[in-house]
Amino acid sequence: MKKSISLYEEKHSFLNGLSPETKLLYVVVAIAIPVMIGGRIPFIAFMAISIGLLIDSKVLYKAKTIIEVSGFILITVVIIQTFFRGGNYTELFRLGPLVARKEGFEYSMGILLNVLNIIFCFCVFVLTTKPSDMMQEMVKHGASPRLGYVFVSLFQIIPQMTEHTSTITDAQRSRGMETEGSLGTRIKAFLPLISPVIMSSFMDTKERSIALEVRGFSSKAKKTFLEDFIPSKYDSKIRMILVIIFISSVVFVILKATGVLPVWLR
Amino acid sequence: MAEIVINNLRYRYPETTRLALNGITCQIHQGEFIGVIGRNGAGKSTFSQALLGLVPNFYHGAYGGSVTIDGVNVKESSVDELCQKVGLVFQNPFNQITGSKLTVYEEIAFGLENFGVPSDEMHRRIDNAMELLDISELKNRVPYDLSGGQMQRMALAGIIVMEPEVIVMDEPTSQLDPQGSEEVFRAVRALKNQGKTIIMIEHKIEKIAAYSDCVMLLDDGKLVAMDTPKVIFSRDDLAKHGVCAPTYTQICRELNIRDRDGLFPVTLEETRALLDADMKERVSR
Amino acid sequence: MAERRTGSPWTTKMSTASLVLIPAAIGINYVGKLFASMLKLPLWLDSIGTCLSACLAGPLVGALSGFLTNLIYGLTMDPISTVYGLTQAGIGIVVGLMAWYGRVNKAPGILLTGLLAGLTAICISTPLNMIFWGGSTGNVWGDAVFAAMGSQGFLASAVDELIVDLPDKIVVLFITAGIYKVLPRSLVSLYQAKDESLD
Repeated sequence: MKKSISLYEEKHSFLNGLSPETKLLYVVVAIAIPVMIGGRIPFIAFMAISIGLLIDSKVLYKAKTIIEVSGFILITVVIIQTFFRGGNYTELFRLGPLVARKEGFEYSMGILLNVLNIIFCFCVFVLTTKPSDMMQEMVKHGASPRLGYVFVSLFQIIPQMTEHTSTITDAQRSRGMETEGSLGTRIKAFLPLISPVIMSSFMDTKERSIALEVRGFSSKAKKTFLEDFIPSKYDSKIRMILVIIFISSVVFVILKATGVLPVWLR
Repeated sequence: MAEIVINNLRYRYPETTRLALNGITCQIHQGEFIGVIGRNGAGKSTFSQALLGLVPNFYHGAYGGSVTIDGVNVKESSVDELCQKVGLVFQNPFNQITGSKLTVYEEIAFGLENFGVPSDEMHRRIDNAMELLDISELKNRVPYDLSGGQMQRMALAGIIVMEPEVIVMDEPTSQLDPQGSEEVFRAVRALKNQGKTIIMIEHKIEKIAAYSDCVMLLDDGKLVAMDTPKVIFSRDDLAKHGVCAPTYTQICRELNIRDRDGLFPVTLEETRALLDADMKERVSR
Repeated sequence: MAERRTGSPWTTKMSTASLVLIPAAIGINYVGKLFASMLKLPLWLDSIGTCLSACLAGPLVGALSGFLTNLIYGLTMDPISTVYGLTQAGIGIVVGLMAWYGRVNKAPGILLTGLLAGLTAICISTPLNMIFWGGSTGNVWGDAVFAAMGSQGFLASAVDELIVDLPDKIVVLFITAGIYKVLPRSLVSLYQAKDESLD
């Protein structure tokens, strides 16, 4: 049985040792720089870096499920843009009555690259960072510890709730509820399925808030942590490198826009 | 020294018309084990939550009278101040898990983190509590993976690391199997031996009889009586208030076996002592 | 929810009871989405928790429930869905405000709230759809219309979003209002009751 929906796994890798902040900075840099500079190469370059990092952390296989979720919508985007994008077009090929359009296809490739890049760099952060470390970092930077609690608890409370759903489905089916058939039948099935979940989870909140209250959840004292996260010695260096890369890209973009850049770099 | 003084406590939940607590007045002294009994709906849980000021500060509603702990009026004070003096453990062990921790050890630390206790002090207190409740070997387990009895002891540990002088337990074993229930009572015995004040609501009347220094009988929000287990369980009107006496008391009542004060015994040990004395008397005659 | 509440909907301080409502609301969003896809319904039904928490504890709790739903979804399944947390937060605010002023009560009010929530969703989601997906929504019916309208431009994208969101939010609001009415009063009073003295 799955106890936490967090995708994090401790592999004692290089990325596991970096602070959440540094990895988040990488996410920002990896998303922003390709969009600023444009063209395809920056996207592909950052994707390659992300994939390399994921391989190093032995978690690339986990990225697969995430890609699958977004994969379906990406395919529809490519189809819709290639065959239906309006305006003037250059014909690539014909598929029955449909015309594949070069402009639409290229446009969809831009979307594809951007989305995949975001997914991969996000994976670098998500697959290698413990939720409670994310929270501790946020709290140390002034986020409300109470909200921090809510954030971390989600990873365990949601699977606790969804676990009951199969029990409820079986119970309602055994009482003769139909979950297949016409749209009307299926709509009718929705309420009896969801209401027990809502009732029980809301009633639980009352006890849970008392349990938290009696353990000093509303205390105004400065919170401490049982274990402090100690980032690796490379942490600050990597952060510095990321900032330098980011600033030089901004400079590059400005120079390019003002036309000061030598011709061979444009 | 935690001295609890309750004076004419009255309380009504929001959007209800009946008083859930109706004029309760009593005192509880440091180190006492108080058993609270009464039928369902008698006001036992409400009473226990009034000791921490959850009634009325969490539930809202209409409140009268006062509860003071060491002279501090709980209504004027906040739960996070009170919970360092009074701890609360309740029925459902599942809902007492914070959901934010991945190991039993971290889960027990939750309260200490909130109060800003330094890390090394936390480790010391958690190790002590786990040893006292005999859960040291569960240290690295996932909280949601434990059995009911283990979960309830983890909840208790999470409370006692905050070192309260008073521990309130609201039917801590009602959702546990016999083994889990026995585990929890062993833990309770350990706490009692430490000199903590314990206020326990419990339907297992034999346990109340065995552990309590003093029993509170509640009915319809009123305090019917507060006295030693013997006096309470020797009353003739228990059935009227929706509780029954321990088995030994019932048997001795049928056989009219009384002690010198005319009261019935409430535990096996007391019954045996009484019968032994009786036997000796007959032999010597 | 029957009557208009007093005070400002924004100054509600986050009580522990309100905070703990958030994980429950997010769980309900999750389970709603799960059941909707299990029953193959043409709706998402993934914002019932957001709307219920907004009705119970106000717009801020609603907004947080909505935003965190997508954040968690983003951290565990689909990174891009994180940004749509803004949409869910918008829905939480709109529904929370309408409930605060006592409008999520009778059928016309519920319908109006559903429409407003749907419009809010369209206004926030469409630009995001444009930025990340070139205007598609990933919903078959909506995307079919989007394709028919030439697969580009804000209008086509907004229509794409509208086809799914408007009916979805109206249905969600009716479900929310129905469930809210049968919630135990002892629960509702944790968020809305006043103190009084018996002395």
